[in-house]
Amino acid sequence: MNAPILEVRAVSKTFQRTGKPSVEALARIDLSFAPGEFVSIVGASGSGKSTLIRIIDGLLQPTSGEVCVEGKPVTSPGPDRAVVFQQDSLLPWKSVMDNVMYGLRIARVPHAQARSTAQHFIDLAGLTGFETHYPHQLSGGMRQRVNVARALAVSPKILLLDEPFAALDSQTREIMQTELLKIWDAEKKTVVLITHQIEEAVFLSDRVIVFSARPGKVKASITIDLPRPRPLAMKRTTAFTGHVDHIWKLIEDEVRSAMGLATLT
Amino acid sequence: MSAFLEWLESDARGAGATRVALSFAVFFIAWQLLALLVTNTMIMAPPLAVFKSLWVETQSGAMWKHALATVGVVLLSFPVAVLLGVMIGLALASSKLMTLTASPLLTAMYSVPVVALAPLFISWLGLGLASKFVIVVLVAIFPVIVSTEVALRSTDAHLIEAARSFNARPLQIFTTVTFPFAVPFIVGGVRVAWARALVGVVVAEFFGAFAGFGFAILAAGQTFDTPVLLGYVFVLGILGLIGSVLLHALERHLAPWREELGQ
Repeated sequence: MNAPILEVRAVSKTFQRTGKPSVEALARIDLSFAPGEFVSIVGASGSGKSTLIRIIDGLLQPTSGEVCVEGKPVTSPGPDRAVVFQQDSLLPWKSVMDNVMYGLRIARVPHAQARSTAQHFIDLAGLTGFETHYPHQLSGGMRQRVNVARALAVSPKILLLDEPFAALDSQTREIMQTELLKIWDAEKKTVVLITHQIEEAVFLSDRVIVFSARPGKVKASITIDLPRPRPLAMKRTTAFTGHVDHIWKLIEDEVRSAMGLATLT
Repeated sequence: MSAFLEWLESDARGAGATRVALSFAVFFIAWQLLALLVTNTMIMAPPLAVFKSLWVETQSGAMWKHALATVGVVLLSFPVAVLLGVMIGLALASSKLMTLTASPLLTAMYSVPVVALAPLFISWLGLGLASKFVIVVLVAIFPVIVSTEVALRSTDAHLIEAARSFNARPLQIFTTVTFPFAVPFIVGGVRVAWARALVGVVVAEFFGAFAGFGFAILAAGQTFDTPVLLGYVFVLGILGLIGSVLLHALERHLAPWREELGQ
C-alpha cells in the first residue's frame, strides 16, 4: 500500500448538550486511506458515520485525535476535500452552471476559467444541455449529479460522500452507482462513502468498513476483491452476495440493539 | 365548467387577470345590491354615483392635488422605511444579543397602533410633510425589520454547511447564501409594509393636513358627501392593489422555486 493520503488518528467526538447528558458519537477511530481507494463506511443509524465525514472535512472538530491529509493535520475545510451531502444542498436561486461554479468562485478562480472547469464536470456528470436549468426544474437524481459535479469541480483529492443516494428511488440509485464508478474511474479520486445500503457499499468499494453503534467504533474492515470494471450483473454473483451476507451479519446485532430489539447472539 | 375552473386555478396566461376581473365583478354586484337596500344617500352610494363623483373630482383638479400630497408623502417615506428596516433587520440578525435585547421592545412597538400617536407628531412637527413622513416611516418599518431578521435567521442550515464545506468565509456565506435566501422573504415584508404605509398616511392626514386623500375623505365625511368619500377610499384600494401586485410579481421573479414548492 502506498503512503496513505488520508489518516484518521484516534478520533473521538463527544457532543456536549446543555441540560442533557453528553453523547459520545465516535470512540477512538483509526483509519487509513490509500490514494485512489474507494472506501465505504456502513453501520447502524447512530454510529457516528456522518459525524466522521464532517470531522474529515473540517466542518467539525474532534474532541480528541486528529485527521491528516498527506501528513498535514486538518483544522478547517480545504480545497483538497469536497463533500456531497445527502440533502439537496444546491442553491435554489442559481442555475446548474452557477451551482457547479460555486466552489471555484468562493476560491476566487476567475470567472472564465471557473466556467470552463464547471462545463467539464457538467459534461462528465451527464448534465450537458441543463446548464441554465434551476435545481427545482431537475429530478432528484439530476440534482444529486449536480452536487457531485460541484464537489468535483474544485478538484479535491478526496471526495466525501454522505449518503448521497439515500433520497433516490432504487432504480435511479443503481444508475447513479454505475455513473459514480465511471466518474471515479475517470478522475481517480480517493472516495469515502457513507451509506446504509450494504449492497451499494460492496458494489462500489475496494474496502468496506463496518461501524458499531453508540459510540461509533470500527468493528471490521473487509477488502472487496471483486474485479473491476463491475457491471450491474455482478450483484447476482455468489462472490458478491457472499460479501453482502458477511457484512450484514456483522451489523445485524448493531441494528437490532439500535432498534431496541433483542440480539440474536 | 370544471375545465374552466381548472384553468382559472392555473398559472395560464390570462387566468390571473380573469381572477382579478371576477373578484371585482362580485365586489361591484354586492356593492350595488347593498346600495339598493340602503337607499339613504347620506350613508350609502351606488358604484355609478361614486364613479361620477370621482370624474367630477378629477375634472376640478381636486383629485390631482390630493394625489400629489398623499402619493408624494408615500413615495418619499416608503423607500426610507424599507432601507432603514432592512438595515435594522440586518443589524439584529448579526447579533444574538441584540435580537434578544431588542425583540421584546420591537414586538411591543409592532403591535402598538403608531397612528394613535399621529396627533402628537402633528403637534411636534406641524401640519406639513414632516409629520406625515415620520408617521409613515414608523408604521411601515416594522414588517420590514421583522421579515428581514426572521428571513436571515431561517436560512436552510444545509446550504450554509455546504458553503462552509467549500471553505466560504462568513462574509462570503452572507453574500452568496444568507442574503439571497432572505431577499424574497424581505419583499414579502415590504408588501405588508406597503398596505400599512397607505393606512398610516391617511390617518395622519385625518389629524391635520392641507391636502391628501385622508384630508379629502374627512372633509367629505363632514359634509355627508358619501360618493366622494367612497370614491377616495376606492382610489386608495387601487393604490394598495397595485403595490401588492407589483411586489408579489417581484417576489415570484426573485424566488421561482418557492412557487413550485407551493408556498
